[in-house]
Amino acid sequence: MPVATYLGQGGVGVRPMSPDEAMTHYARGDTQAFSSVYDAVAPRLETYLRRHVRDPSQVEDIVQQTFLQMHHKRGTFRDGSKVLPWAFSIARNFMIDLKRTCGREVASNVHDDDSALKAFLVNDLADGEQTLEAHRLGARLAAVFGACTEHQRNAFELTRVDGLSQLEAAQILNTTVMGIKQCAHKVYEKLRAAVAEPEPTGPLPLSAYLVPSQAGTLASTVRSRRREP
Amino acid sequence: MSLSPDFKQRLMTTVAATPSATQAQSRRARWWLLGAGVMGALLIFFLKGGVRPTGRPAVLTALTSLGASISGGLGMFFLLTTRGKSMLRRPAGVLLAAAVLSTAAFLAWKMAWSAQFGLTFRWPDRVGFRCLRLGVVVGALPLFALLASYRRTEPLRPATTGAAFGAGAGLASAVLVDLWCPVAYLPHLLLGHVLPILALAGLGALLGWRLLRIGRH
Repeated sequence: MPVATYLGQGGVGVRPMSPDEAMTHYARGDTQAFSSVYDAVAPRLETYLRRHVRDPSQVEDIVQQTFLQMHHKRGTFRDGSKVLPWAFSIARNFMIDLKRTCGREVASNVHDDDSALKAFLVNDLADGEQTLEAHRLGARLAAVFGACTEHQRNAFELTRVDGLSQLEAAQILNTTVMGIKQCAHKVYEKLRAAVAEPEPTGPLPLSAYLVPSQAGTLASTVRSRRREP
Repeated sequence: MSLSPDFKQRLMTTVAATPSATQAQSRRARWWLLGAGVMGALLIFFLKGGVRPTGRPAVLTALTSLGASISGGLGMFFLLTTRGKSMLRRPAGVLLAAAVLSTAAFLAWKMAWSAQFGLTFRWPDRVGFRCLRLGVVVGALPLFALLASYRRTEPLRPATTGAAFGAGAGLASAVLVDLWCPVAYLPHLLLGHVLPILALAGLGALLGWRLLRIGRH
């Protein structure tokens, strides 16, 4: 968890506070602390939402609603509680609301742009063959990931992509730590099997061009895990 | 792509212009609400006659109340609190298990001790409707207080949380009804002492969905 820069009221020489401590201070009435909470939480929230919501203005809207909700209900914040799972669960709630009102168009796992894939591929790959291979792998991983249940995908994303702890993910998804462990492990095993599969030959499926960004993120996650001893 | 450059500034301006209760103010308001709910429930209970031994040995009354309090208290602990230091409530499975197990424990305890004293016989004139009415009315007030004090705070499962609040309030009312009613006949207990817990859980789920849910401003 990144450490916020807020030092507390009048706090030169005081150690920097974590977002949880900053939220506790804000809940007690220290208005300066909210900026610090924002700095620590907003980027992670935004990254999470961008994977699920197509329209950037709607991402902004959800982030704003989430922070306003946290502000309105700051009095209910318990000392020592984690602010990140709380913020994620509020944002997720708004996202589901949006999905219900606007239908599939809004909450899709497919991005319009392929910036994540570009970051993954263009920077690292040398030639066309590798690019082609990466496209194929991306398509395969996206298909495998898409075939997992929503709960499994959420568990995997929150723990492996968003970097939340298993306990935090369990709280957000309202399940047990064991449940999160099992779901994330199942997805990971499926993705690993897909990476280990021999390369099929022939033309690329259309999906290779349609769902690249998520596939790129997944491929890099699985590959980095594979390199670990 | 990231949030627009002036987004934080706009948000902070909105936040500064919108008053919200601090922890101390919220806590005070909650205690008032919950206190009023509990006092109202006790008032109704005592207006209806309060503790009524009605031929029961004092030891039996004490024992059954003790068991009801312990099982109800444990159930309420799981139903009404969050897990650890968290803003989020327990999983639905845990809540359901807490409600079912504590109700079953309360029932088994009452039956077992009443059987020891030979008091599990049928009371033809006490079907259980009066206990049912008392249980629901006494439990409804703390339930309303809980729902009001946690209004618009539940991001995950408002209906489940409402049901948990209802079951918790139902367990609390079951303790009072147990002090009021001497009957330990199983069908009576199911109708008059257990059904209020279910009814309040259902009411809690219904109201919880409306009141606890975080909606768009």
